[in-house]
Amino acid sequence: MARALRAGAVAVPRRSLFGRDWQLGFLLTAPVMAVLVGLIAYPFISAVLFSLQDIKVGGQGRFIGLENYRTLLFGAERARFFNSVWVSIIYTGGALLGKFVLGLTCALILNSAIKARNFWRGLLFLPWTIPGVVSAYAWKWIYDDMRGVLNVQLANLGLIQQPILWLSDINIAMWALLAAVIWQGTPFWIMTFLAGLQSIPQELYEAAQIDGASTAQSFLYITLPSLRNVIIVTFMLSSIWTANSVQYVYILTQGGPANATETFPMLALIWGIRSYNIGMGATVPLLFFPIFAIFIYFLSKRLLQEGEA
Amino acid sequence: MSEHGWRTWPVIGYLARKNRGYYLLGYLILLVYGLWTILPIYWMLVTSVKSDAEMYTAGANLLPVTFTLSHYYSTFFQSAFPRQLLNSFIVSTTTTLMAVVFGAMAGYALTRLRFLGRTVIARLLVYSYLAPGSILFIPIFALMVMYGLWNTLHGLSLAYLTFTVPFCTWMLMGYFKSIPLELEEAALVDGASRWTVLWRIVLPLSAPALVVVAVFSFTNSWNEFLLALVLVQKKEVMTATVGLTFFQVADLFFWGAMMAASTVMALPPLLLYIIGQRWVISGWTLGAVKS
Repeated sequence: MARALRAGAVAVPRRSLFGRDWQLGFLLTAPVMAVLVGLIAYPFISAVLFSLQDIKVGGQGRFIGLENYRTLLFGAERARFFNSVWVSIIYTGGALLGKFVLGLTCALILNSAIKARNFWRGLLFLPWTIPGVVSAYAWKWIYDDMRGVLNVQLANLGLIQQPILWLSDINIAMWALLAAVIWQGTPFWIMTFLAGLQSIPQELYEAAQIDGASTAQSFLYITLPSLRNVIIVTFMLSSIWTANSVQYVYILTQGGPANATETFPMLALIWGIRSYNIGMGATVPLLFFPIFAIFIYFLSKRLLQEGEA
Repeated sequence: MSEHGWRTWPVIGYLARKNRGYYLLGYLILLVYGLWTILPIYWMLVTSVKSDAEMYTAGANLLPVTFTLSHYYSTFFQSAFPRQLLNSFIVSTTTTLMAVVFGAMAGYALTRLRFLGRTVIARLLVYSYLAPGSILFIPIFALMVMYGLWNTLHGLSLAYLTFTVPFCTWMLMGYFKSIPLELEEAALVDGASRWTVLWRIVLPLSAPALVVVAVFSFTNSWNEFLLALVLVQKKEVMTATVGLTFFQVADLFFWGAMMAASTVMALPPLLLYIIGQRWVISGWTLGAVKS
């Protein structure tokens, strides 16, 4: 009797093409599938179709093949598009470098035997909790030409005679922008590095110390190699998120001065939404997609492997 | 006083002891970095309670001379911001509820049941979680216009499912995997149905994870900017992230009111963070990045 029950309840391999639990399985995954298909796959395919059309908001599209791509890569908008490529590289690369250096430094300090560690950790994580829009405006106010705290205090200290145009000087705007982006993004790196550091067995360091290794050697031969995975994953994740986010550029500089901070999502926003040119707006991010597709491929492999374990 | 001579001996002696130098340097870096972390937040708070007169005449005093709540008053009673905060709350709550329920259902199915397409769905979820947001916002905008969902909170809530659902499902899958199978097997042997197992065993056991996932999903939606900017243009339908931009009229900024509104907007995520700090930090290891 018990055997029969058990068999009836769990183990009877119902001979179905769809698998043992297909009815419940399909039912439970149906809403998520609806989101994946209707709200992600459908818009994504639409983006590809839009990029092949001359289409404005609310209007009928006209298929023009690869004309949009040609305009961007070889045609009239070539200069502006490649400017956004260059700006995106500087923006993403600069932000990643800053976040990496600061994130690793702070994580190493937080991981050592310092006093009031919880206090410091809570403090350093604060920017992570602040809405991006809020911190973008806080920075914009700090950078204000005439009344911003930065210029006023620098003038009070006698360091500058003229206000520095933090966000409208073509040579400074990118760096001012990056400071704000790094400010907000570093806590995520500190967190992942801290998690990585905490998973390194303490015995490794003790053994190295017994063998007479210096702190620098321990760092070079134990810490860095152990963090390899975390560093790679964080770099790829952060590059996807940083490169594709638009709120800092939108709020602080609107892509200016003279397109000096016009990253590609900002360019897509200007063409696709402000100029109602859906076709061109959809094409810009698609041209960048191959790079992110590579990251997504490697990241998903890692995440899925971990999922199976 | 100079940094030569006998005065420096205690410091040198202190540093000479093993590794002290590293610690001192560490504290110094923490102090500088901590200041740079706190200053923008401090400046936001100070600006929000400073009188306009002080802000526009006396320059940028690091310590405010005046104190006023007038900026908070004008934010709450003379602008569309309260309505926009409510909109943010409605959209974030709706999308979070849907994402957590859908995510729990699918997460359970994907970790416990055997059916065709299981691995494909898991794969699609990861791809969607990682998908760059800049690709989707333009087609989503065009499609929302097409289906008459542009300028509505429904449309925005739907659009937010594009990032909350993959995120919630993926995190919950990770958690469900960590629950031992034995309990469920025992219940199944005793004749319980899959539904009973899900409702009576799996969900109660996952309550902490459900809370963490809900908090993340809520704050992500609360903070979202790009879709909110693109999908809503009416001031009464707008959410707070975009409403904030209206404290600027042409080139004129109302910084006091804007910083007051910013402070109010930053509070819910901040409170959730302070309350759930412990879980948030362990929540990270529950999700994507592990070594």
